[in-house]
Amino acid sequence: MAARWALCGLAAARATGCRFVSMMPVSPLSSAEIIQMRNELFNKEKERQLALYPRIEKIEVKYVGKSHPGTLFVMNKGLSTPYNCAMHLSEWHCKKSVLALVDGEVWDMYRPLTKSCEIQFLTFKDENPEEVNKAYWRSCAMIMACVLKQAFKDEYSVSLVRAPEVPVISGAFCYDVVLDSALDDWKPAENAFNSLTKEACKLIYKDLPFEILDVEAKVALEMFRHNRYKMEIIEQKASQSPEGIVKLHRFGDFVDVTEGPHIPRTSFCFQYQVTAAHNLQASQSGLIRRFQGVSLPIHLKAHHVIWRRLLERSRRLVTEEGSLGAKDVNEEAKMQ
Amino acid sequence: MRSRARSPARRMRSRERNCRRPELGWRGRADCIAARIVPARNRRAVAAMAGWVALRLLGREVAAARLLAGVPGQAAAAAAVVTGRRGQWCFLVRHINSTTWWNEHLSKENVEFLKKITSEEYKAQTASKLCPLKDEPWPLHPWVPGSKRVGLIGLKLGMMPLWTKTGERHVVTLLQVQDCHVIKYQPMEETNGKTALLLVGGKNASPFYRSESRHKVYEEAGVPPKQKISTFKVSANAIIKPGTPLYAAHFQPGQFVDVTAKTIGKGFQGVMKRWGFKGQPATHGQTKTHRRPGATGTCKVSRVFPGKKMPGRMGNIYRTALGLKVWRINTKHNIIFVNGSVPGHRNCLVKIRDSNLPAHCLENPPFPTFFADGEEQLPEDLYDEDVFQFTDTSVMYT
Repeated sequence: MAARWALCGLAAARATGCRFVSMMPVSPLSSAEIIQMRNELFNKEKERQLALYPRIEKIEVKYVGKSHPGTLFVMNKGLSTPYNCAMHLSEWHCKKSVLALVDGEVWDMYRPLTKSCEIQFLTFKDENPEEVNKAYWRSCAMIMACVLKQAFKDEYSVSLVRAPEVPVISGAFCYDVVLDSALDDWKPAENAFNSLTKEACKLIYKDLPFEILDVEAKVALEMFRHNRYKMEIIEQKASQSPEGIVKLHRFGDFVDVTEGPHIPRTSFCFQYQVTAAHNLQASQSGLIRRFQGVSLPIHLKAHHVIWRRLLERSRRLVTEEGSLGAKDVNEEAKMQ
Repeated sequence: MRSRARSPARRMRSRERNCRRPELGWRGRADCIAARIVPARNRRAVAAMAGWVALRLLGREVAAARLLAGVPGQAAAAAAVVTGRRGQWCFLVRHINSTTWWNEHLSKENVEFLKKITSEEYKAQTASKLCPLKDEPWPLHPWVPGSKRVGLIGLKLGMMPLWTKTGERHVVTLLQVQDCHVIKYQPMEETNGKTALLLVGGKNASPFYRSESRHKVYEEAGVPPKQKISTFKVSANAIIKPGTPLYAAHFQPGQFVDVTAKTIGKGFQGVMKRWGFKGQPATHGQTKTHRRPGATGTCKVSRVFPGKKMPGRMGNIYRTALGLKVWRINTKHNIIFVNGSVPGHRNCLVKIRDSNLPAHCLENPPFPTFFADGEEQLPEDLYDEDVFQFTDTSVMYT
């Protein structure tokens, strides 16, 4: 169909002598090519943003945490990250800090600092680990999305929809996915979840860092032009932010649009399991499935008895309001 | 001179003692042991893992097999990609990990909540097994002379005196049967072709100190984890479905039982206490020789026989007291009053079974076991006919 249109366009162009710009969506590429295209665009944009700081300028970053009060770091603008600041303090800070609080704003550990500021590190064991927990849940959902994208055979198409912001207390992180229409009747069995979990554990073991990039909406739209759900989300986010900037995160080969900071590396996850898949109501495009999983970081390892209870609890459908259950107090206090 | 033959376990311990990095302490030793046991095909991969080398230089603990007690299988597999299959010694983990106890990362409310929920779950599991006769029991066969039935696991409570009608005073040990369930059945084909095995567990235990593999057996039976499991050789007509509770009324007053338990450990003891040697006199010129073994052999043999009685570790071994008479059974608290003494300390778990002695043959016992939800309702106390009843009238005037 697209080919016929293209042919008509070319014929008309030859006739009138002017060039036609193709207005149809791009012909479907294979998933490997899409991934490659996205990574190339990501790298290009990253290099372009790095080239904005040709000469190294210094910024002063003041540490306002409890452990080394009054420390002043002299870091490079646009190059140094909060992780580099932590490297100046100690290995403990590097291993334990999950997010950085830069001028009161939550930052990824690997996001370059752009001006002189005050910095503080957040770990899982703080009094108020709410932001850290949310970031962890987001990262786990992104890992699951990457696994889902790669897990199916090439003849089945997988469209990632979104990662709903589910409260941590509900017991599971989730990702909405639209699978190929041929898989509408497929009910994932126990061994399907086991193989998804194994793939996720492989990713965790690879210890991939989460890279962040702030891009303009049109670059992001070009990267995700094959996925219309993502394009809707990009447009929505661009309209919400004042400068029309969309945040992209990448680990390994997988790029995704997310709305908040992530943990620094995939190896921060320790126990990880994909537990359930529920069917949400079928929209006109296809059946939206919600894949759920549960995970715990290495700093908060759980005994197998407790882990099993958490697994059972995560099999229930979670929604954005959060499902209340008997293990509420447990999970909330646990992540604290 | 070659040192005398040592078992592989002892050889390992001397290696531990003489490791190359004593300044690292016991953690360094764990490191070095893990380093040495890596199979040859994986050594290159191991050396290439910069993270692991950094761990060694810093002298951190390498995660041992104990860590994996709390880790689900997939994460462990991910961490162990580099290592060989046999090497539970060489699981290498990149992070600075140490083994943790179950409530390290939990808050106080969580700990209380988990304890409460565990005990509730145990009660629910026990309650679900209270009616074995209604729950598709395995076929019940009548008792035949020569058939062996299952035994129980009990808790040694203590001892008390008991008087017979003829006025003799005997001492009895109280053994309480707490949460005794049948856990597993192994048919005779898998055992030795002649007798089947029944695994019985006694006294509920906390799930937080047992590994995942051990919990599997209990989950299949649907019972809480137990503190002690023992096997009973059973004849084919006495097999019971796993999950069935066992009670003290399984035994009858007047029958004889054998009780097996671990004796009280006395530590390293000399030859007089351990083997009952006479020792030497206290005076009359004995120089520093009062409790010594003396000669260890004859001159002709010119060696010491293997197995010679010498000082060593005494106690903490399984011993059986045979042919103990059951005087009384309390069905309310599930207590068996057994004659004489029983090996083990107070509150230790003992294995009780019908006596194998030829003089004490059973006659018509509850077969295969006593079911509490059957038709018969037993009185609270069952006495042997010889036991003196204090509540009986002492003098009757005609």
